[in-house]
Amino acid sequence: MNTINVTRPVGELLSLLVEEFLGELPARIFKVLLTRGRLSAPTLAQYTSMTKRQLLHGLVVLQQHNLLHYKVDPESTHMTMYEANPENAYNLIRVGKTLEMVDSTFGAAAKDVMRSLLLSGFTRISDLVAAYQEQIDEASKATRTEPDDEDPFAEPEGVNGDAQAAKKPGLVIKSTAHLNSVICRLVEAELIEVMHDKIFLTHHDLVKGAEAKVMKEYFPTGIKGNKAKVELQEKIADELREDRSKSKSLKRKLEQNSAAAKRRKLFAEGGLNGAPEEETDPLLDAKQVIRINHEKCLVDLRNRRLVQFVNDMIGETTGYVYAVLLKHLTKSLPRCRTDPLIDISEEHIEQGKGFVTTDEILDSLKTAVDLSLGLGKESRDKFSSRAAEKVQHSAPKKKIILEAAVDGDASADEDEHDDGDGSDSDESMADGDFKPAQANGTKVKFADGVAGDYKLDRPTQLKQHLLLLAESSQRFVRHCGPNEWTVDFVPLIQTLKEAELDSIIEQQCGRPGLRLVRILRSKGKLDEKALTNTALMRKSEIQQTMLQMLKAGFAHTQEVPKDNKADVSKSFFLWYCDTNRSLDRLQARSYKSMLNCIQFLEVLRQKEKDVLSVTKRLDVKGREKDVMRKEYYDRYSQFLEHEKRLFAQMGRLDDLITLLKDF
Amino acid sequence: MPGDNDIKIDVFKDLLYDAVREHGSESRLFTQSDLLDLNVIPDRDVLLLVKVVQALTADKLLVATREGSTLAWRWRSREEAKKYTSFPNDETMLVYTVIDEAGRDGIWNRTIKNKLKMHESLVKNAIKYLETKGFIEPMKNNVEHPNKKMYIKANLKPSERATGGPWFTDGELDTAFVEELQELVFDYIKTKSAYLSTHIPMSGGGGGGGGATRAPKKGVIRGAAPSTTAPGEDTTRGTKRSATEISNDSSPIMQNSALPPRSAPSATPAPAHTSSRNARKVFLPLPAGYKQYPTVTEIAQLIDRAGVTNNTTLSEADIQQLVDVLVFDGRVEPIKVNGRKGYRVTRAVKQDTQSFSKRRETNPDCVSGAPPIPNGLMEAPCGRCPVFDICVEGGPVSPSTCIYFPRWLGIEQAPPAVSKEVTAS
Ligand code: SF4
Repeated sequence: MNTINVTRPVGELLSLLVEEFLGELPARIFKVLLTRGRLSAPTLAQYTSMTKRQLLHGLVVLQQHNLLHYKVDPESTHMTMYEANPENAYNLIRVGKTLEMVDSTFGAAAKDVMRSLLLSGFTRISDLVAAYQEQIDEASKATRTEPDDEDPFAEPEGVNGDAQAAKKPGLVIKSTAHLNSVICRLVEAELIEVMHDKIFLTHHDLVKGAEAKVMKEYFPTGIKGNKAKVELQEKIADELREDRSKSKSLKRKLEQNSAAAKRRKLFAEGGLNGAPEEETDPLLDAKQVIRINHEKCLVDLRNRRLVQFVNDMIGETTGYVYAVLLKHLTKSLPRCRTDPLIDISEEHIEQGKGFVTTDEILDSLKTAVDLSLGLGKESRDKFSSRAAEKVQHSAPKKKIILEAAVDGDASADEDEHDDGDGSDSDESMADGDFKPAQANGTKVKFADGVAGDYKLDRPTQLKQHLLLLAESSQRFVRHCGPNEWTVDFVPLIQTLKEAELDSIIEQQCGRPGLRLVRILRSKGKLDEKALTNTALMRKSEIQQTMLQMLKAGFAHTQEVPKDNKADVSKSFFLWYCDTNRSLDRLQARSYKSMLNCIQFLEVLRQKEKDVLSVTKRLDVKGREKDVMRKEYYDRYSQFLEHEKRLFAQMGRLDDLITLLKDF
Repeated sequence: MPGDNDIKIDVFKDLLYDAVREHGSESRLFTQSDLLDLNVIPDRDVLLLVKVVQALTADKLLVATREGSTLAWRWRSREEAKKYTSFPNDETMLVYTVIDEAGRDGIWNRTIKNKLKMHESLVKNAIKYLETKGFIEPMKNNVEHPNKKMYIKANLKPSERATGGPWFTDGELDTAFVEELQELVFDYIKTKSAYLSTHIPMSGGGGGGGGATRAPKKGVIRGAAPSTTAPGEDTTRGTKRSATEISNDSSPIMQNSALPPRSAPSATPAPAHTSSRNARKVFLPLPAGYKQYPTVTEIAQLIDRAGVTNNTTLSEADIQQLVDVLVFDGRVEPIKVNGRKGYRVTRAVKQDTQSFSKRRETNPDCVSGAPPIPNGLMEAPCGRCPVFDICVEGGPVSPSTCIYFPRWLGIEQAPPAVSKEVTAS
């Protein structure tokens, strides 16, 4: 469970986000709940000075979008207590990004369904179907004869009944059957999950409930001894796991069905235009209520972020390979972070088999991508295949940070487990063939000794990219077995966080700042003199830079008294870096920047109030350009431009916050 | 006959002194048996030896020192000895002795005082005397203790510890020298640890294209190692790489793939390709297992050959120090292949293909290395805002009064006064 620390700016930000997306009324309620904590409806009415009807309406909207926790107090009052759900409120900012992600992986139809779900919050399947049916009916009435220029892969006319509906350009869901199949695909990808009775409980209540149940069922006489305690924890974890898995019930049902296999196959091929299937999928219970599974969306967003990181660090071809690898690896990974209460032992952590094989990746690579790009070429005698193909069975114990690298005792590329003899005596081995992926049994022809002249076959090219990722100092992948690849997300994300921090430090305090921070990060606490010696910088420059960084929260000082009199004038100061502290500060800064963005947007709205009020008029809406005076239209379009830019900026800030908070 | 004896001792004095001088430097310690083994004193006559040594010590030509539990001696030049015999009083001699013993490291006047347990004024007088006589001098440019008044024997070269080693000139860190070398080292590592490819972007086609042809992969350090300057290097761009420029990599391969662009549309625009040339040079990372990433030893050899260090000699440890700084900068990273520790450039594709010195000719304040990764916080006005910490809605500085946001959006001025009547025409 990711928790937001709701500070004052964060609270304001979240309320404004709710207002932006759901309107003023729900936002007011939400704000009160954020600041006051758990409240009942009557108290809430008092604080918000709303009528009962307004309040109920607002609560329904909030609940619909999962922005509330609520719980009926069973013992005393039987009153429903409401609480804000800040995590989901924050997720509102991510709507656009989530849609874009769904669009690029599952296609426009899936994106459209997701958008509907995001707009309406959780939805009964039958309602969703009805809404789309209406659209389809309307569209087919209106544009029966227009040619289809949208979708070159659309089925030829007359193959099935929906062909005519499919004609409408811009209509992405072509039939209810199509809708059904899209929903199924999204359920299988876990991006959509079903609602269940416990979804509105806070994490805390959930745990308490599980605990109470376990106590009653298994330990009616109380807990005695350590063994029982451990057992209790395990039972609670089991219970919570069961709660958690309820939302996957639909997926499980789909998986048991043979049709699912077929659909999955389409999905694997990236079949964006999955042909409409059987008219109705009997498995989709129309009464079931579905919603978007943000946890799983985050897994996919994290994949995208990591790919972007590879693009920045290594190159785009390698990044593409990495994207395919991650897609396979995280197919059944339900969430980015494990829950210490639930995922108490390895066996319970749901992650599929935990590695991907070279062949799996090869089978999913787009044929159009040229794998020979993005990598240098040298004659093979300059490479050691033994070093390159080193297998690492377990995750590195040490974090990949600078100290290891600089001290040279465990350089980022050194294998801690089988470092060979560490000598240079591998010449003979290195001259061995640069093995192609063996399972493919293909041969590689080398023009001996001449770089750039040879052409490697595709499996070998693929393997080169994978090995490069494994050799990288960031350790993007781990070569966990012959032709098996995995990713150690926890240390990798930490590396990514530090890289972001470094980039900000470099932009704010220059390269000298970055240098000093990284020295401190790797060497611990240092005084000014030691810094001078390592950084090869003038003392005056160091002092200046360090002060700047102290102010920005990138570096910290510790006072060390010379004697036990602790005379301040006599004590000397040590510099150090607490990376996690800096990251926390960075997160707070990003929240506040985001708040300022949205507040400035409000400022703009106020300024253009007159113009904006015109555009709200029904006779203007939708045809602003035609009916508004040019002067006003220009101001309006400029406002839209600025609004877009501010939202884009907030999205960029969210990239950073999400990385720090959720990945 | 006493005179006879004296003469005998005088003779042996000279003989012993010469022999000792022949057998080692001023710092060598001679034990009693060492002295006897010189075969100057006949019949290993210990008594005679003691007499001779005593006489030499009195003349300040031998200095007695305790070596563990045994006594030992070292010799002193006649010139020095003359100084010792010329002092007006014992204090001066003692002070001089202490300074002498401190050697090339020099000594702090307070330390002298404490060591000799002497009154400050006495020390002061002695120092004054010694200074006017030109026997000692104050230590200049002391890097180790810049704020202490230190003295050193006249005409002695201060030790490395005191001067700060090769990076210091006249007690100041020679940043120009350090930076010059750093760039040299960086360019060397860059060209030796990445593959220079001539990239021909092709339009269309999801696969994109462009074969990487082989280009000379040699160093491009200009003026330093002329033999390694690759032909054709100078055809690449000489444009300024500003901090806002994202990268020189915009390979089009992914146009049609599942790969998303950067998630937000607001990212800084990629640099425009002003040139009409299709071929673009770019550094590519080398495949895993490359065995020839440059090591510190190789880098040190390069610097040596380049002859850019004038009369300073740099040890491998010095070069290591330079390379470490580059690592801390995030410009290069260590990589161990089969136990051989080499260095390679980070983010190869983002590196400029032209050498730093060459680029600097056209643009004096260009920066070497890849620009930092763009980041949402630093792009927004608030990320760089000087009043960020006090900015709050309702406060003296707030988003409503913000001057940076309008500038960022390109609305410098407030729009002209709005007319009262707003209508849809
Ligand atoms: S003054 Fe403007 S730029 Fe500065 S923090 Fe406030 S809103 Fe941001």
